[in-house]
Amino acid sequence: MMAVNPGGADAEEPPSMLWGLDPVFSAYSRLYITDILQMKESRQVPGVYFYKTHPLFQVDVLGTVVYKREREDFYCYGVDDSTGVINCLCWKDEKWRDQGEPTKCRDPSGSSRGFNIEDELKRLKEAERQSTVLEIGDLLRVRGTVKTSRDAREIKATSFYKVSDPVMAVQISHMLDMPQLYRKCYDQPFQMPSDDLGGTEAGGSSHFHYLLSRSVLILKEFLLEKEVARFRPYDVEFLLHPLIPSSSAEQESDQPRTSFATQIRKLLKETLSVLQDEGQIFRKMRTQDEVYNVTEQDKDLHTAIKDVLREDTKREKYAEKGCHVLHILSSVRQRYSQNLSREVLEVALTFLECNSDIISTTEAHYTVL
Amino acid sequence: MVVTERTAFYFPWEINTDMVKDGTSVRTYGRLTSYVPEESKAVLSGQQSSAQCHMSVQTTLVEPFQPILGAQYFVLGEIEKTDGLSGVLLRSRALTCVDGVDLTLMQQAIVEQRRFFKERETKMNVQAPCCESPPT
Repeated sequence: MMAVNPGGADAEEPPSMLWGLDPVFSAYSRLYITDILQMKESRQVPGVYFYKTHPLFQVDVLGTVVYKREREDFYCYGVDDSTGVINCLCWKDEKWRDQGEPTKCRDPSGSSRGFNIEDELKRLKEAERQSTVLEIGDLLRVRGTVKTSRDAREIKATSFYKVSDPVMAVQISHMLDMPQLYRKCYDQPFQMPSDDLGGTEAGGSSHFHYLLSRSVLILKEFLLEKEVARFRPYDVEFLLHPLIPSSSAEQESDQPRTSFATQIRKLLKETLSVLQDEGQIFRKMRTQDEVYNVTEQDKDLHTAIKDVLREDTKREKYAEKGCHVLHILSSVRQRYSQNLSREVLEVALTFLECNSDIISTTEAHYTVL
Repeated sequence: MVVTERTAFYFPWEINTDMVKDGTSVRTYGRLTSYVPEESKAVLSGQQSSAQCHMSVQTTLVEPFQPILGAQYFVLGEIEKTDGLSGVLLRSRALTCVDGVDLTLMQQAIVEQRRFFKERETKMNVQAPCCESPPT
C-alpha cells in the first residue's frame, strides 16, 4: 500500500529561479516534525526540500528531548514534538570545552556572610553551562538547516536553547499556533508569478518589472558575448522565449488571454526601449527598417568621435581643456547621425576612455591622447 | 537508547481504553496521587467531568525525582497492557512537574491539534481514496 505524503510536492516543482519570491524559502519554517521527515528533496537543487509547493531548507522546531548522544564537538538530541522524532545536531560551545567537571562553590547554600564574588561568579558560570546542556525530558527549541544523512533526516542547529516551560504555556501555545500557521501559510499554494502580461500595462505589475530586468540583462549579455554590432528585433526575440512559460497561454484566468507571441513582442518592445534609454543601443536612421546599432560595438561611431576630438583639440579653443560633451554631441550628430542621443554618446565615450583611446580632462570634457 | 517512535498526546481517560494499543509511545498528564519509591510506582489521576481515572506509572527511568503529591505532572512513555488485574502501566521516560498548567487550555490545544490532523487525513482521502491513510 502506498503511503500518502501529506506534504508531497506536485510532479511539477516551481523553477528554482523563482524560489526567492516565496517568503517561506527565506524563513525558518515552523513545521511539524512528521512533515519535515516526509518532505521530498528538490530535484533541481539538493539540500532544498518541498512542503507542498513551498521550497525550504531551514526549520524551527520545539519538542521534548527523548535521547541524547554526545560526540566530541556536538550533542545529538532526539527531539519529539508529538508528531515525530528528529535528530538535532547541536554544537558544543567552545567556552565550556575546557571547564571539566562543574566546580563546586565553597558555600553552596548561598546564605553566606556577605557577598562572595568568586562564589557568585562560579554559580553564574554553572547556571550558564546548565542552560546549554540538555537532559532527556527537557524542552528544546532548535532552529537550523535540514540535512539528509544516510537516509535519515536531521537538523543541523544554527541556534538552540533549553526552554523553561514550568506550566507548559509554551507547548500549549505552540500546539494552538501550528494549525493556524499551516492553514494561513504552509498549506496555501506558492503563488507562482505567472500573470498574464497582456492584461497589464508596462511597468504596471511588479512581475512584469521582474521579467523586464531579466530580459534587459539577457540581451546585454548576448550582444556583448557575440560582439553584435547591428541587429533587428526578430534576430534577438528568441532570447526572451525562456522567460515566458509557454503553458501560461493555456492557463485559465479572468483576464483576456493573450497569446505567447503577443507577450513576447511586448516584452521585446519594452526591453529595446530600456536599452535605448540607457544608451546601449540606438537607431542610426529612423526608417521603416528597424535596425539597432550597439553603441559599444559600433566602430564607425567610435571613429567619428575620435576624429572630432583629434581635429578640434588642435584648435586653440579646445587645446588645453578638451571638448565638452555637448560640443562633441553636436559635431558627431553632424558627421554621423542626427538621431544620436546624449546617453549613447556617454556610453561610447566611457567605452573609449576604458580603452585608453581618449581621456577625460574634467567630468564633462574629453580629449585625445 | 535511540527512540524513533513519536509520542502522540492522549487524555488521561483515554489511556485505559482501547484507543491506545499495547506498546504505543504516548504523552499525557495527571495529578500525582501516590508514589511508592521502593516499587518505582506512581499513580496519576485525571478527571473527565465527574469521572475520575487513574494510571499506573513506572518511574524506574526517571528516578530520582522529587515527588510533589497533588501536583500536575506531564509524562511521556510506553504503554504496557497486561492481562492481569494491574491493568495498564505507563513506563515513563520523562516525568515533569507542571503544576499550575491551565488544564482547560491544554485540552483545547490537544483537540485543536487532533482536528487539524483529522482534516488533513480527510483531504488526502478525498484526493487519493485508494491509498491507505497514514496513522494519526
